[in-house]
Amino acid sequence: MAFVLRTVSHSAEGREIVRSARVEGDRLTIGRTPESDIQLSDLAVALTHAVITRDGDRLSVAVEPGLSLQLDGRKSDGGTIQAASGGDIQIASHIVRILPTAAGASEIALSIERVLEGEATLSRSADRLFSLGSVLPGRRPVSWILVIALLAIFLAWPLLGSRSADPHEGLRADASWSSGKLSRAHAALEKDCTACHAKPFEAVRDTACVACHTQVHDHADPFRLARAQPGLSTWGRLKLAVKERLNLPAGRCVECHTEHEGPQTMPATAQRFCADCHGGLNDRLPDTRLADAGDFENAHPEFQPLFVGGWQGPRPMMRRASLAARPFEDNGLKFPHDLHLAPVGGVAQMARRLAPAHGFGRQLACKDCHVPVADGTRFQPVDMERNCAMCHSLAFDNAGGTVRTLRHGEPAQVVADLRDFYRIRSPARPPSLAPFARRRPGEGEAVEARREFSAGASQSGAQAAIRAVFSKGGACFDCHRIDAPAGGSLAFRVRPVAFPSRYMHHGWFDHRDHETQDCTSCHAAGTSDSASDLLLPGIATCRTCHGGETTAKPVASSCAMCHDYHMDQGAPSRPGRDRRDQAPEPMAALRREAR
Amino acid sequence: MSAGRALSGAGTSHEGFLRHRNFRWLKIASLAMLAALAGYALVDVQPRHNGGSWYGYLLGTIGALLIVWLALLGIRKRAMTRGRWSLKAWTSAHVYLGLSLLVIATLHAGFQLGWNVHSLAYVLMLLVIVSGIWGISAYAALPAELSASRASMTRPQMIDAIVKLDRQLHTAAQPLGHEDAAIVASSIGDDPFRGGVIARIANSWPGCVTHRALARIRERQKAAARPDAGADLAALAASAELLERKCAALGRIRRHLRIRTMLEIWLHVHVPLTFALIAALVAHIVSVFFYW
Repeated sequence: MAFVLRTVSHSAEGREIVRSARVEGDRLTIGRTPESDIQLSDLAVALTHAVITRDGDRLSVAVEPGLSLQLDGRKSDGGTIQAASGGDIQIASHIVRILPTAAGASEIALSIERVLEGEATLSRSADRLFSLGSVLPGRRPVSWILVIALLAIFLAWPLLGSRSADPHEGLRADASWSSGKLSRAHAALEKDCTACHAKPFEAVRDTACVACHTQVHDHADPFRLARAQPGLSTWGRLKLAVKERLNLPAGRCVECHTEHEGPQTMPATAQRFCADCHGGLNDRLPDTRLADAGDFENAHPEFQPLFVGGWQGPRPMMRRASLAARPFEDNGLKFPHDLHLAPVGGVAQMARRLAPAHGFGRQLACKDCHVPVADGTRFQPVDMERNCAMCHSLAFDNAGGTVRTLRHGEPAQVVADLRDFYRIRSPARPPSLAPFARRRPGEGEAVEARREFSAGASQSGAQAAIRAVFSKGGACFDCHRIDAPAGGSLAFRVRPVAFPSRYMHHGWFDHRDHETQDCTSCHAAGTSDSASDLLLPGIATCRTCHGGETTAKPVASSCAMCHDYHMDQGAPSRPGRDRRDQAPEPMAALRREAR
Repeated sequence: MSAGRALSGAGTSHEGFLRHRNFRWLKIASLAMLAALAGYALVDVQPRHNGGSWYGYLLGTIGALLIVWLALLGIRKRAMTRGRWSLKAWTSAHVYLGLSLLVIATLHAGFQLGWNVHSLAYVLMLLVIVSGIWGISAYAALPAELSASRASMTRPQMIDAIVKLDRQLHTAAQPLGHEDAAIVASSIGDDPFRGGVIARIANSWPGCVTHRALARIRERQKAAARPDAGADLAALAASAELLERKCAALGRIRRHLRIRTMLEIWLHVHVPLTFALIAALVAHIVSVFFYW
């Protein structure tokens, strides 16, 4: 009985080297010790790992306790192999193969071969091992992934999504393209890019703006506007040429109304946008009626208010004139402001007497007659009954506690009322003329005499009273210009009164912004003895506080403070105005502090 | 000639790319930055500077062309030439003009940033520039250290040392019992480079099996010192000594690895982010004109 061992190994070139050995007996030890019949130098093999014992045609494999091997590919801690069919025993990296042996043969052949590399070889090149490439993904694939991801998210998706997406959905494909939040006024369009950017690769056109802003006025006739522009420098012409080449027409709304600048109100237009053209407008547009204006402090014409310059019959004729010419207003009224504002005298006396009922002070003040409109911008038209009648009473009768007044604004009615009054309150008549005295037949003369008396008495009183009312010292004459009728007629006519609702239509003035000032610091009412004085302050008065856009004066004032490019008659757009309206309380507090 | 000296250029006739032609490109780039700043201060853009003004378009065009040209270094560097447009001149220009982008692109944006593709391109550009600065400083400081860390061994020699030690360990451990042999076997064949970028940069290899094996073999040595242990003390001592030598060899490799990694990692940021920047730039330019 013997085992024939064939140990197979491979040279560096791959050549097979076979060494044979013979072990007599029916017991074969496998282990790492040199004393083993089959010595396996793998450190995973125990010093004595297994023992193969032959018993006839059967080989039993016994493994040291706690160790294992693979028997025919299955992990096992011992078993048997039929010599006739042979079998594999794998221990760590070695296979001990028992070759099939005919029954009863005296020798059993085994081949021993190392199948697994017991030690990992550092096969890759040293440079590769040391370089970062061995632990990081390559730069090229990472670059590709980044490029594809970025182009997909930030280019392809917005391009595909921009046209089809619902503007109100949550996450817009093209949201990443927005360079900044829209102004507050346009906040609702934040997700609706195509509302303004209507056509791809075409700059925003005015058509997109006027789709919503249907009421916006043009500044002027476009041709006049073009002619008014200052001569373009070479650089300006170059810029214009490039813009035209790039399909960017000049003068679009967005040139001033820049967007995506953050959630703000539109900032005031810089002065030079106006001054560029208006500074020398007369040179370029000789037929303009506008005076040149550049800077409020030193290049602005005197104000030219629109006022009642005269009358054509009952129609007031409006006239514009510079305040420098000290124009007079023909409003039809007689009203000496100085008399009413005097601290002493009859008016002041009366004001003190009526103070408890009407809230006057020691003397009359502007506010006692002039009532501001709801937003405080300007004043309501003076109303005779409301603002004058507390002193200038039109009462003519007290009928049992009911005061009867003459009808203001209706002279014919005044005449009729006075006539009526005197007809009823005729002088005492003789008893025989008592209206209900019994009459006997033939007393016709007496009735006639009674009628004549009555008519005569009332006519003379009424006529006198009517003439008195419409003549010097009378209630109407005091304030109005009266056209006296010719001869004995009583058809007195009161000249109409007219005031413009606004004196300056192309500039904006807000009285509420000037509440810190006394009225008389601008309006020279205290020294005006005639209603025809145009009490508007001239530009010099404004300039005591207001300077130009850059100024040493307390209030820097660019054109946009008073003027609106789009020429509507409302307040010019101004940052902060809206906010103030929304929060009146803090502003009121501020104003109190300012006082 | 080490790369460190190539940068400084001191003491030799060699001139590094940073001081190429007496800092010619530093001067040119500085002039460009000053011009951009002066223009920014002088040109009146309403309501404020942004990429959409004529000056913004000008700076944007210059910046975009610069970025494309800077990226071309990746192609240009593969052909080393001399002369006026030598690779060195090109690299010098790459560094200084790349730095000038900081000014040009910032002024192009008018200091306005947001959560959008435009700022994404800007931030990517910043990261590319910062990684480039990192790379230059790494090249200035580390190569000397790198050659010192090798202790005049080549990289294959360093690996060879490990392979040889493994073989010696294998032989030395043959007399060891099964458990002790398993400890030694765990070190043999272990990949000395196993570990991520962090391990390489920090030179921190907490999972190193060789160090662990050494510690355990030492414990076994102590335990085997008792007379009843019956272990092969000589084999244990030999294994411990070999493991110690292997730890030293590994330490050498890993110090070298740390420096190599520091030298290389910036490029793993710089190059992919450059491509990402170009992609973001394309998206930025298309989007701006799509929604003009």
